[in-house]
Amino acid sequence: MRLELSSLLKVIGDWISSLGLPVWLVDLIEMCGAAAMVMGMAFLIILFLVWWERKLSGHFQQRLGPMRTGWHGWLQTIADGIKLFQKEDIIPKTVDRKVFYWAPVICFASSFAAFACLPWGKNLWPTDLNIGILYIFAITTFVVISLLMAGWSSNNKYALLGGMRSAAQIVSYEVPLTLSVLGVIVATQSLSMVAIVGAQEKVYNWFIFRQPLGFLIYLIAATAETNRAPFDIPEAEQELVAGFNIEYSGMKFAMFFMAEFLNLFLVSAVAVTLFLGGWHGPFLPSWLWFLLKAFFIVFVIIWFKWTYPRLRVDQLMEFCWKFLLPLAFLNLIVAGFLFR
Amino acid sequence: MAYDLPVLSGIKNLLIGLWVTLRHLFSHAVTLQYPTERWPMPERSRGVVVLLSNKETGDLNCTACMLCAKACPCAAIMIERHRGDDKKWKIDSFSVDNSICCYCGLCEEACNFDAIKLTPKYEFSTYDKPSLTYDMHRLQELGRDVAYTPRVRKTPAAATPAMTATTEAGGASTPMAPRTATETPTNSSEKGGSA
Repeated sequence: MRLELSSLLKVIGDWISSLGLPVWLVDLIEMCGAAAMVMGMAFLIILFLVWWERKLSGHFQQRLGPMRTGWHGWLQTIADGIKLFQKEDIIPKTVDRKVFYWAPVICFASSFAAFACLPWGKNLWPTDLNIGILYIFAITTFVVISLLMAGWSSNNKYALLGGMRSAAQIVSYEVPLTLSVLGVIVATQSLSMVAIVGAQEKVYNWFIFRQPLGFLIYLIAATAETNRAPFDIPEAEQELVAGFNIEYSGMKFAMFFMAEFLNLFLVSAVAVTLFLGGWHGPFLPSWLWFLLKAFFIVFVIIWFKWTYPRLRVDQLMEFCWKFLLPLAFLNLIVAGFLFR
Repeated sequence: MAYDLPVLSGIKNLLIGLWVTLRHLFSHAVTLQYPTERWPMPERSRGVVVLLSNKETGDLNCTACMLCAKACPCAAIMIERHRGDDKKWKIDSFSVDNSICCYCGLCEEACNFDAIKLTPKYEFSTYDKPSLTYDMHRLQELGRDVAYTPRVRKTPAAATPAMTATTEAGGASTPMAPRTATETPTNSSEKGGSA
């Protein structure tokens, strides 16, 4: 008997509908409950990912990473969060206040909104949009706008350069990213995330085996999409100090920080859903399989970070438009013939 | 970029890079977790200066001869002394200013009585500069657990070239023994003479 979260949720849902409340209230409660659960899950994931990244980064460099707060430093993120929460919220004099205020909100909200149609496990998803994957790519594009807003409103040359760079990079890499996903969509004939997971029940049906090239392109483009090394020129410390978020402090900075990790998890989760069979797996509960696979993809992205040096801006663009894009088209054409 | 062999060799190199970092990931971390773990210091490493005491009587070996203070290149050692009733120098105060000390060890070399020594101890941070100056008692307490091998003392009588060679081997111990005993009140020299 696997411990499925969905069966537990079903019991709660049945209990709420048996209370005799009006239908609209039951719907509202269920919607808010789902949103709160996804929010809680997102925060837990952020907490874990920050620790996971720091530990992995440490061990990749033969260091230990955080060790002092809690067992192997697992409380470190919580301590950092409390510290950031207490910080004074500094707004520099010359910034464009409204834009400066809303940029981190939009950044976090757009990353978080994409979590709405992730299939977390068997019968466990907030909503099953029939345009799920399109929705995810559409809503995460708002991140670009927020980065540009942050860069522009900060009234700081480093922030502006960082914002422009990341906008250029994300918009460029969105193209091969979407094209690599199209191969999967051609095969499943559906944009729904749940239907895509449903098409990969057996291991040999996983799209990583049917679309290995598509998976590689997706992984590379996703690394660039999340501004991670070797594609981290938007926040290249040596050139831009910190990139678009240089003027931010306190909770506003924390929101950018959390959005970055949400994005990291999101691209990993989408990779799992599209290529690694989603929540399918033996023995363990489905939601655990989903998380394990997603954290593995995160591990691979961090692995890239500590292996490859940063690309130059022109190399970055050349790699995207002259190499990845033709490959993505090739992949799509092959997929079109294969899955006719 | 062309779709030819450079791409393939590039991919191969990327994989080699991944393999290298993966090996590093699973290799042992070199971090030493300082307050809970410490490097073993070499026996003769030169850390903080201490004053050595006689193991039996617990008195300082120092005879207030001022040789260390004169040898000190940065004048970190301050000694106050007076003549006792037996015409010997008695030590009043002995302090080392660790904020000036350059840990050269010249005081240790100058000392004829195994009284001053540089130890492997090194954790002596403070919040203010004056507390880096250690007085006689602190220096003595720091030196309580310091192990040292008393050196073979060269007496003025053994200073002739022919004699020094034999003193090192301990051959001249019998004629030397009474003289050393009278000259220095420390028993470390007696141990050294018989060794």
